[in-house]
Amino acid sequence: MYDLIIFVVLMLLGYGFGRATEARHYASIRKRERFLNRIPAIASRIPPFGEPNFDSQLVTGNVVISVDYFKRFIATLRNFFGGRVTSYESLLDRARREAVLRMKQEARSLGASMVFNIKFETASIHKGNGNTIGSIEVLAYGTALIPNNIEVAHTANLMR
Amino acid sequence: MQYTNPEIPEGINTSESHPLKDFFILTGGVIAIVVISFYLLIVTVDFFADKIPFSWEQSIPVASLLETDTSETPPYLERLTRQVAADMDLPEGMQVTLHYVNSDTVNAFATLGGHMVLHRGLLEKLRSEDELVMVIAHEIAHLKYRHPISAASHSLLAMMVLSLFTSSADGVLNRLMGTSGLITLMKFSRDYEYHADAAAVDVLLRRYGHAQGAVALFDVFKAQHNGVELLEFFNTHPLTERRVQRALSLAQKQSVLSADKSVTKKMQPLPADYTAWLAAQSTAQSATQSSDKSTDR
Repeated sequence: MYDLIIFVVLMLLGYGFGRATEARHYASIRKRERFLNRIPAIASRIPPFGEPNFDSQLVTGNVVISVDYFKRFIATLRNFFGGRVTSYESLLDRARREAVLRMKQEARSLGASMVFNIKFETASIHKGNGNTIGSIEVLAYGTALIPNNIEVAHTANLMR
Repeated sequence: MQYTNPEIPEGINTSESHPLKDFFILTGGVIAIVVISFYLLIVTVDFFADKIPFSWEQSIPVASLLETDTSETPPYLERLTRQVAADMDLPEGMQVTLHYVNSDTVNAFATLGGHMVLHRGLLEKLRSEDELVMVIAHEIAHLKYRHPISAASHSLLAMMVLSLFTSSADGVLNRLMGTSGLITLMKFSRDYEYHADAAAVDVLLRRYGHAQGAVALFDVFKAQHNGVELLEFFNTHPLTERRVQRALSLAQKQSVLSADKSVTKKMQPLPADYTAWLAAQSTAQSATQSSDKSTDR
């Protein structure tokens, strides 16, 4: 009986806090994406501008997210029935976009005009703990192109 | 060449469906699967319960839990039980063991291993041999149709299922077999009671040519229906209006059928030595009680 009560409490907490956090996070993500949109992140491996005019530097954005009880419960049930694990989709979507935003934030503080050759790495952090910890890390990294004189900076700005 | 990042449209990488909808569909599916599996389990148990050999049932140490002294049982009751049992063509190897308990509890019950328990409280309510035969035949019918083992199987299944959810699986079997509650307060379903009533009425008809004993017995119960003294009896034998009606209509129908044989519907009186013994038991019990009370003080 106590198990059932604990379960229901965890589910309610997971659902309540999970929903509230997600809504708040998405609002923040959209706001910052609009703001940082002037630093494009490009997957191309070839630098778009002539190298002499730009300095390049590695920029990274890293985020670790944890699953709430409610999302995990739904995902566990999905193990039986199959289908889209919708509860994890939004979670991972948030993590990837947050990682890119943090990377762009770093590029912005370096004065970069764009980031190219961006890549993602993910790692799950539950080694040895099985189902007890459902955390995942998303790392976004790329090469920031920083204009190395005023003129280039001006040209780079004009090109956008 | 111009490089821009578009605003990412929502709803491509994530789905818009409400998580609660997902939750209810999935848990509904799980609950449906669980309910269906348990239903199948119950059906299976029902099917196999009465096929358990009686000798297995006998190996359960029920007698020690009942805490009665079989040597106290008067020969009249023993004889009557033997006669009724012989009349009911019991399955091969089934033995009925009669237990008599000298207590005011108005109860009689049948339990695992062919044991049948009569309390003095109930015996005192009976005014004729017919009623006594009705009670005994009713309990033996439970044994004949393997009602105790079916009910015990149901209890065992229920406890196992319960232990799955309460995660206290340790010693479920021990607890089950250790509880005298299961042995002495075995609850039979209404269908089982109807079945036993019908069989008992049948015994009355064969023995006396009429089923006036059933009518008289239910009259006794109905007259005291609101009394608390019968509480325990109704716990183990729910006396619903429907059950009475069924048994009585059966009894009356059969009596009408056999009426042309012009049998008298007079009930057999109880033998004098038995009633004397019962009265002695009652005074003996109250004597021990009062002596207990005096030592308490």
